[in-house]
Amino acid sequence: MTDAVRTEALVKRFGRTTALRGLDLAVPTGSIFGVIGPNGSGKTTTMRVVLDIVRPTSGRVEVLGTHPRQGGPALRRRIGYLPGELKLESRVRGGDLLTHLARISGGVPQNEITDLADRLHLDLNRQVRTLSKGNKQKLGIVQAFMHRPDLLVLDEPTSGLDPLVQQQVHELLREAAGHGQTVFLSSHVLSEVQNTATEVAILREGRVITVNTVEELRRSAIRRVHVEIADAAAPALHALLISLPGVSNLVEPTPTSATLSLSGDPDSLVKTLAHFRVTELTVEEPDLEQSVLGLYETPLSEAPSETPLSDTAADDE
Amino acid sequence: MSNALPLFRRALIESWRSMIAWTLGIAAALLVYVPLFSSISNTDLQALIANLPEALVETIGYTNIGTGAGYVQSTFFGLIGFALFTIASIAWGAATIAGDEENGTLELTLAHAVSRSQVVLERGLALLVRLLWLGIVAAALILLLNVPAGLDLEVVNVLAATTMLVLLTLSTGSVALAVGAVTGRRGLATAAGAVVAIGGYAANAIANQVDDLEWLHTISPYSWAWGEQPLMDGLDWVGFAELLALTLVALAIGLAVFARRDVDG
Repeated sequence: MTDAVRTEALVKRFGRTTALRGLDLAVPTGSIFGVIGPNGSGKTTTMRVVLDIVRPTSGRVEVLGTHPRQGGPALRRRIGYLPGELKLESRVRGGDLLTHLARISGGVPQNEITDLADRLHLDLNRQVRTLSKGNKQKLGIVQAFMHRPDLLVLDEPTSGLDPLVQQQVHELLREAAGHGQTVFLSSHVLSEVQNTATEVAILREGRVITVNTVEELRRSAIRRVHVEIADAAAPALHALLISLPGVSNLVEPTPTSATLSLSGDPDSLVKTLAHFRVTELTVEEPDLEQSVLGLYETPLSEAPSETPLSDTAADDE
Repeated sequence: MSNALPLFRRALIESWRSMIAWTLGIAAALLVYVPLFSSISNTDLQALIANLPEALVETIGYTNIGTGAGYVQSTFFGLIGFALFTIASIAWGAATIAGDEENGTLELTLAHAVSRSQVVLERGLALLVRLLWLGIVAAALILLLNVPAGLDLEVVNVLAATTMLVLLTLSTGSVALAVGAVTGRRGLATAAGAVVAIGGYAANAIANQVDDLEWLHTISPYSWAWGEQPLMDGLDWVGFAELLALTLVALAIGLAVFARRDVDG
């Protein structure tokens, strides 16, 4: 089993700033591999190294069995890339731009452009520079997928897209993996990675902190829960909640409500609440900041664990 | 055939608006200036020029303004045409790599199955073709006005002078393109092209005036192009070779550095 992308001790400096500090990453062929991390953690730089847009200062990098520099145009023909900050300023129509990009990609099957555009509800007759951010993003997605590359490198693929189109994109990702294509994507939305990826690497300050399966990540994710009950048996509720595994930051605004942070699966919480008449229950989807904050605050050498939330994250709302 | 030189064709398609604007500008300049010759050649202009200080006449290049060739050289090839072609060429040259990079749109092109050299060379070819087009427009209009305005120009010499104008401005545009490819900065690229173009013009003017500084002719692209008066005496192959060499050296340096450096998103 080979890796579509593999880096060893990858270092990249831009002048005095260091973007990558010894990045070790292996993206298995045929997987949907997600990288998450805060801004400046090295996600975009890693992808630019893969595309040979920037060159590493030191370390090894192998993409589809060859070095990006040596691979040249022939290698990039096998890669579809969606830049993180997609800029499209051209006056040409979207369809014409895609035709041009298809020429410099090569091997775009007939009708692939229109099929993809239809699925994403993208109007190809509009001038590119007049498109909204979301529609530009759709155009970027079409050009990344249209030549059915062996490797898709997608930097924040659903940024700026509405939820329905996000679903379409997730569908495209799964189909690609079904065809044996490898997907290497970055996100700062944990749910996106959870919904699609099989493996997730968490980056921080130019290094990989951990590589988890999505299942592991889900278990360590921290959710914010708000619950209100109709009964007057409030003290019992609070006593029960505080004793549950994974519950922290318990706040009780009124006797019949509670707000808390929950790590791990919500099973015991749900079963506890089942004894009450629940009038209101919201579970906020864990975003990256909250769910992996523990990982960021743990020193690099320590294994990630169910670290309690910091004050800043608990300040939510 | 439909897949040949995709970046070259894209570059031409993307620039058709500016092509029309420059074409109109150059046509307007020629239509304003050239017909004036027939009205002023009969006047006392020669006498007026003769009364001016010789140094001034040499500096502004009006030595032969009484002849059709001298007039068209002084007003168009050496001045207005030079300025218009230069500005267009440097603007296009600076936009080729540096402008694209500063817009953030170069990254997407480079992520496809093209080499960086291919990007520079195909877009450099587009720069040449745009300047050739402007040259064809200029030469055609001058030849059209040749008889009505009483210029008495030889067709082959008009073509020679136009060739030199295209090549002169291609060389300064290539300097802008190359500095943009090296630095990724549009402002620097424009400045570099302007320094070579204006510096060459100034060096030529100073060399005309100061005997001790006559050697400045040897380092001025403007002198390379116009020193042997192609509009009167035909194509000067030495000047041609010097301008071509400047173009090729600039592009070679641009290619070499661009192929090795990081590109900004």
